[in-house]
Amino acid sequence: MTELVQTIILGLLIGGVYALLASGLTLIFGVMNIINVAHGAFLILAAFVTYSLWQATGIDPLLSIVVTTPAMFVFGWLVYRGGVRRIRGAPVAASVLLTFALALVLEGVMGLVWGNTSHAVRPGYFNESFEIGSIFLPQAQVYGCLLAIGVLIALWVFLTHSWLGRAIRASAVNPPGAELVGVKVSGVAAMTFAIGVATVGAGGSIVSVLYPFLPGSHYLWISRLLGIIVLGGMGSLSGAAIGALMLGVAEAMTSTYISPAWATAVPYVVIFVVLLLRPQGLMGARLREDVAT
Amino acid sequence: MLVPGLVAIALLATGCGGSDDDGGATAASSGTTPGATAASGDPIRIGTSLPLTGEFSEPGKAAEQGYRVWEKMVNDAGGLLGRPVEIIVRDDASDQNTIVADYNALISREKVDLLLGTFSSLLNIPASTVAERNRMLYVEPAGGAPEIFDRGYKLLFFAQQATADHQGDLFADYILSLPESERPKTAAYPTLDDPFAIPVLEGIRAKLEPAGIETVYAETYPVDTSNFDAIANAVKSADPDLLVHGATFADGVGFIRALDKVGFDPDYFFETSAPSFADQFSKGIGVENTEGIFYAVSWTEEANTPGNQEFLAGYEEMYGAGVPAEDAADAFAAATVVQRAVEAVGGVDDQQALADWLHANEVETILGPLSWDETGAPEGEFLIGQWQDGKSEIVLPEAAATTDAIVQRKGDE
Repeated sequence: MTELVQTIILGLLIGGVYALLASGLTLIFGVMNIINVAHGAFLILAAFVTYSLWQATGIDPLLSIVVTTPAMFVFGWLVYRGGVRRIRGAPVAASVLLTFALALVLEGVMGLVWGNTSHAVRPGYFNESFEIGSIFLPQAQVYGCLLAIGVLIALWVFLTHSWLGRAIRASAVNPPGAELVGVKVSGVAAMTFAIGVATVGAGGSIVSVLYPFLPGSHYLWISRLLGIIVLGGMGSLSGAAIGALMLGVAEAMTSTYISPAWATAVPYVVIFVVLLLRPQGLMGARLREDVAT
Repeated sequence: MLVPGLVAIALLATGCGGSDDDGGATAASSGTTPGATAASGDPIRIGTSLPLTGEFSEPGKAAEQGYRVWEKMVNDAGGLLGRPVEIIVRDDASDQNTIVADYNALISREKVDLLLGTFSSLLNIPASTVAERNRMLYVEPAGGAPEIFDRGYKLLFFAQQATADHQGDLFADYILSLPESERPKTAAYPTLDDPFAIPVLEGIRAKLEPAGIETVYAETYPVDTSNFDAIANAVKSADPDLLVHGATFADGVGFIRALDKVGFDPDYFFETSAPSFADQFSKGIGVENTEGIFYAVSWTEEANTPGNQEFLAGYEEMYGAGVPAEDAADAFAAATVVQRAVEAVGGVDDQQALADWLHANEVETILGPLSWDETGAPEGEFLIGQWQDGKSEIVLPEAAATTDAIVQRKGDE
């Protein structure tokens, strides 16, 4: 019984972090109809920046999100202006190609700058745990998960309570309608992309504490994140959060009760099952092409 | 429909991980200028492909350092048969398909004179097949999986002391030699799905199980596992006295960090490969968490073997202070083996003659003397190391030990 509770808790803790990482991906897709395959590479980039900050200054990696988040926001903005903007009218496959290329370039650049070796950020608490009876809560996971939830709530408040946030959501639901009520959809798109990338700025700092990483790690992350947003319903923020928690628990349960050998297959199994049973995902927001028909 | 395409991309992305930067034709050739050394004439060109990126980048880079140190030392000393040597290194990105393409290109396009092996059994299995088919001598610095040697290859040699299934022999014997009160009753065997790691565990398990040490956990996890919390938790639930972990590097570090988080410390802890990575290992898990971890190792900086001091000096000159990784030393030793064979035979054209000489002779290396049976499997014994007070020591066999003490993982608790 303890083992079951423990497994679920571990799954939920990591699921909270997954939720933050997936939120940016699903937001970018929902508003812009762009599948950002470079999302995982952005994440690892933020993790490396966190690593360098930690090495140079000793700053707590989780505090360094005050640096990585704005830095990745600016980076996302530049990527949008420099590349993504040019394929806005193209079919969605073009966005996949462009961002995949971007991911490969970033992987190479990160290898040159930081080296293709495994890196790890180890603040004082990285191997400490809170203990409640026989249940343990790894401190890094708890802090990481709380921080992720905090950032997610801030994002949600922003999207629902600010003019820009409402404009972003309006652009996601109905771009022509948004234009009609005075939203400049193209400007909103740039902002959305930058915000989406900024979420992995925070996420990268958290991930850098939880797992060792190297430039090639982004493949694993992007497949996991794509699994989450397909499960949750592409473009749905709440769906991404629920999907993330489910995937986190499913991975932990698989690893404990079936075999660790199957844990990495879980995201793919999830994608296949969702496509067979409920193609729109759990919280399936209707896609724009559905709205148009 | 958008989603199926997306799935394809996701699968594609994982499948072709890293193969974009395989280096192509721009192999990093050495910076050696033949005129700067006493050696003259056309260089002897030696080809290899190493996992400089991807999963095995840690050992891959170390192996490159070992080869480069050897290259420089040979050239500084007048070359091989009076000719300079030039090592051509390609990057296989830890990918089995890329390495086949790399070795084929080295042989048919670059027309190298000699080959050197790569890192990890996983990659040496396909690479050695390419070499054997092309009738080229293949001396590998790593790759001790038993399946490498049961294919009847004639030109393959493994330049370490023992194959993987015998790596943990001394450790298992030590465990069985403990008095009844201290001897572990239960053991867990989590491992990476790797042709090198698994036989090490199987070798140890095959000795311990018949002696009554019960197996309470044995699971295999795939190469791209990054989250070890659930595995560590399952091991904790099984509560073994002895933990034997089959790892390479990143997973070894990740697993120990997860064990620290779940708050589990076995009395005895043996891990393959990762703990031999000197300060990279202690930095990865935190030096205070290294205490008592056992590992099998082929080389140590303190070893009083011929050429070891020169190797350390050469390494320091090229890569600065710091202890070379074991894989750098293994690569250096592999190159030494090739060098001795070429010197003895007096040429590089007859690769079969090189192999025949190695089968018939013992070679002195910085790992100690190496000799091989007819399959190319070595006939020696690994050293057993243990981390003590933040430092790696050799504890077995006694003749090579750097300390008399063997400590428990939990220290004095």
